[in-house]
Amino acid sequence: MKEIVTIQVGGYANFIGSHFWNFQDDLLGLADDPHGNEVFRNQSLDTDVLYRSGETHQGVQTYTPRLLSIDLQGSLGSMSSHGSLYNDVSSSGPSYVQTWKGNVTREVSEPHKKNLFLQSLYEGEQKVDPTKKIEDKDLVDSLQEDVQFWTDFSKVHYHPKSLYEINGLSMDANQFNNYGTGRDVFSEGSRGEEMSERLRFFAEECDHIQGIQFVVDDSGGFSSVAADFLENIADDYANIPVLLYSARDPRHYMKPMNREDSISRAIHDAVTFSRLSSFCKLIAPIGLPSLSTSKVCSFLHIDDAKPFYSSAVYAAALHSISLPFRMAPLGPNADSRYVAGAVDVNGIVQMLSGQGRQSMVAILDVAMPAPLIGGASQQSFQGSLNSLTPDVNEDAEDSYEVESMTIHGALRSGGNHALISEVKDSVTAAYESSGKKPMFSHLSVASCPLPVPLPFPSIFGNCVGQHGELLGSPIPGSLPRRSSLDVHSVPMAARLRSSNDVLPFLDKRLSNLRKFGMDRGAAGIGLLQNWGFAKEEVDEMGESLSKLVLALNPYSQDSSDSD
Amino acid sequence: MSIKLLNPNAEVINKSAALHMNINAAKGLQDVLKTNLGPKGTIKMLVGGSGDIKLTKDGNTLLKDMQIQNPTAIMIARTAVAQDDISGDGTTSTVVFIGELMKQSERYIDEGMHPRVLVDGFDIAKRATLQFLEKFKTPVVMGDEPDKEILKMVARTTLRTKLYESMADQLTEIIVNGVLCIRKPEEPIDLFMVEIMHMRHKFDVDTRLVEGLVLDHGSRHPDMKRRAENCYILTCNVSLEYEKSEVNAGFFYSNAEQREAMVAAERRQVDERVKKIIELKEKLCSGTDKNFVVINQKGIDPPSLDLLARAGIVGLRRAKRRNMERLVLACGGEAVNSVDDLTEDCLGWAGLVYEHVLGEEKYTFVENVKNPHSCTILIKGPNDHTIAQIKDAVRDGLRAVKNTIEDEAVILGAGAFEVAARQYLVNEVKKTVQGRAQLGVEAFADALLVVPKTLAENSGLDTQDVIISLTGEHDKGNVVGLNLHTGEPIDPQMEGIFDNYSVKRQIINSGPVIASQLLLVDEVIRAGRNMRKPT
Repeated sequence: MKEIVTIQVGGYANFIGSHFWNFQDDLLGLADDPHGNEVFRNQSLDTDVLYRSGETHQGVQTYTPRLLSIDLQGSLGSMSSHGSLYNDVSSSGPSYVQTWKGNVTREVSEPHKKNLFLQSLYEGEQKVDPTKKIEDKDLVDSLQEDVQFWTDFSKVHYHPKSLYEINGLSMDANQFNNYGTGRDVFSEGSRGEEMSERLRFFAEECDHIQGIQFVVDDSGGFSSVAADFLENIADDYANIPVLLYSARDPRHYMKPMNREDSISRAIHDAVTFSRLSSFCKLIAPIGLPSLSTSKVCSFLHIDDAKPFYSSAVYAAALHSISLPFRMAPLGPNADSRYVAGAVDVNGIVQMLSGQGRQSMVAILDVAMPAPLIGGASQQSFQGSLNSLTPDVNEDAEDSYEVESMTIHGALRSGGNHALISEVKDSVTAAYESSGKKPMFSHLSVASCPLPVPLPFPSIFGNCVGQHGELLGSPIPGSLPRRSSLDVHSVPMAARLRSSNDVLPFLDKRLSNLRKFGMDRGAAGIGLLQNWGFAKEEVDEMGESLSKLVLALNPYSQDSSDSD
Repeated sequence: MSIKLLNPNAEVINKSAALHMNINAAKGLQDVLKTNLGPKGTIKMLVGGSGDIKLTKDGNTLLKDMQIQNPTAIMIARTAVAQDDISGDGTTSTVVFIGELMKQSERYIDEGMHPRVLVDGFDIAKRATLQFLEKFKTPVVMGDEPDKEILKMVARTTLRTKLYESMADQLTEIIVNGVLCIRKPEEPIDLFMVEIMHMRHKFDVDTRLVEGLVLDHGSRHPDMKRRAENCYILTCNVSLEYEKSEVNAGFFYSNAEQREAMVAAERRQVDERVKKIIELKEKLCSGTDKNFVVINQKGIDPPSLDLLARAGIVGLRRAKRRNMERLVLACGGEAVNSVDDLTEDCLGWAGLVYEHVLGEEKYTFVENVKNPHSCTILIKGPNDHTIAQIKDAVRDGLRAVKNTIEDEAVILGAGAFEVAARQYLVNEVKKTVQGRAQLGVEAFADALLVVPKTLAENSGLDTQDVIISLTGEHDKGNVVGLNLHTGEPIDPQMEGIFDNYSVKRQIINSGPVIASQLLLVDEVIRAGRNMRKPT
């Protein structure tokens, strides 16, 4: 078993994470359900890779995500930053102060109200009054409108060391909106030390840590916090690969902008990408400006204004990508009935960034739901995948493309679970018939589909069946949005690929940095100084960006005219 | 108003309104923190929206936790927090002092005085007060053997403002011994060499000094000793786990044998390193009752742990980076980055190493060391918020002792300095000042009295009576402070109430600077959020 530590930094990263852990929690529950479906009971996926076993002071066994989540103070809503498992209820009442004999004043903030979903979770544990049971339908409905914090729809118990709140910033979340505002946040006080300590806590227990899965909300000051943290990690855990998802909320693109804002944002994007990519082994930028109208959402109804909705899609893709990390390696030729194609984080990193064009920027594609094998539409898995990475080319020819694909829970036409070998054959056949084959491709297959937990947003279109099968026509009498009560599981396909399709993404950042930050008299030079970057550092960032471009396009003209 | 032309959305506040906005913000912040001041102050319990509790009597913690939005208040809070960063204490005093300077100024400004004149007076008064501070301070000679009594008095004065008396007194001894332990002649004191560790214990509120180190992790092998005496300590930063080189990835080999061969080759390198450690252990320990402990900053994987355990070695992995330094200072030896050429000289020594388990938490105590220059203060408390508050107090105490040693001076406390400085300004300095700047000096002098006044107020005493009796004594030439129990004047020297020289100096220095800036503001322009961005 090789462990992964997950780190989530920033608001949107935690929204994604909250869905991600809900999937894991659901899988845990389904695996233990004796009446459950066979594909869930025999997942052949090692949950210990993501979870840790522990014990409270009272001797109660716990099983919690191996997770470090970082967010602003107050972002946890009604959840205590100590989690819910390790609290010593028996200790003397909270109003009793043992360290001071003088006066005590209590300043109590308005308690955050637990929403209907959290109430039902809480009651489920307290085993009270079954007559007052809240109907699942009400829960699902209430969540659609009522999600403010990422904790509002989380059904997972967290370890007390998992949730770290950044305090003492003297600005609100809206002001924490660019790279500059996050500068020094990591180093000030003992914040960085505390974050590193918590990571150490989780890493120390691992016998063979295979990698760190890092999700960052790169839209504001958190990208700077994450960059500093990553720099520290690269120092302390030199041999442990970091797989970084740099995620962005579609809401970020909806804010109105004046010229000054747009310059600031262009520079922010360039700086953020350059800094983040320099401290990890593989970076996958995710976050489409308009997820709801993208091809990814052909069968889904997303409201871009609600992070609860959009983050669910990203979380599903992350979940699919993480499956091969949890499969037991059986050697290259032996296959289990349920999984095939195990590879660890380091394997993926080497595969994508170590051969072909040697580019460490990956594109994340997803098909949600994945098509049926032999279905009426005759669509292949490859053909159904669409990019979650913004600013990429579609269908450009790249003979050096390298990819790693995961397909899980695939269905045959007719709705039966497909065998592993059928999935493999289908993928091979599709490559042959299209004539477009990447230089190298790795395929991981699992029989276990994506479970749809109760607190999952109602985003499925009415062509999606109960097991996520794509139907030829809408289900008669069904609402346009189908919820977790209607759709129980979804077959998924996701792919990380290294290709020159990502060039427009890189070019945009490089040219913005030059235009606004490096050229003589550029509009953003003062801003970069304010953010604490000296001219040499900006030049260095430009240099590293153009190196990334150069790796993908050796003929790029403007790569080194600065010398 | 030309800004309106440039940005029609800009909101402009004119001179007098701007000034009053600043004054009110300063007073507001003062009101919030004022009740904290001194050993009779109020402790604040903050309960968050999710029920999380924070306990604090520390202005610094409180300011960070309040999520202040008012721009003026943010400016003052930043100064106060900087005060804490520089000198370790005095946050509340800074805020209270700035607030009072603004309050005193308000009186004169309302009478039509120009803020510029007041500011000039502040400047004169500030310089005079700093000179007076030099004369007033009580020098303390810190030779090779610092005067422990005076250090204890300073620590006690600080701690009694954060914790109840008997607890403060218990900590005083611990903190002074802690600082003296890490102090090396002719070198600046690095307080990071005092590790602060905590344990949650249901009923216990207890703190002790461990001469040595407490690590928050234990060995990860069932056969390793949980308790060992007479230990060699190897402090190292060497990877004892299987390195993931490129060939490890699955697609570079075509059959199982090939894979095995590659794994074995990589494994061998790691095993070599472990064997070198074992060789040294055998050489030094076999035939004796001595033990061997490896504390590694990098990882140790199960096969390596196994080898170590079989050789009777205790191994700890992923130690804190800072503990590498601390271990060497506590046990001796050196932190090694390679296991080549290991000799006995590289090793440290500890009389006792043992493990303590609390639920899933493990602690390793490295004790009975010779001549330690690093130590651990171990705090026990029933819940996280109690522990956090004691930790804050310990940090402040450590800083106070460090300041005293570095300042080689202390200041008489209990308000004695403030009253004396005020009398000096009013009776001597004011006369030498020409014109209306005198009033600035007077405002400054009166503002100084806010410290004894607030101390009196928090103790439920009548502030007027207290000030009259204190100034009366000072005019007679007696330097006295305030007895918070009776309201009578006391001699701080006799009572052992001393404050840090550098803290006081910093307050006198930074308070008037901020107050002056706030007074000289003649327009506030709010043009969108960018105005409040930190620069």
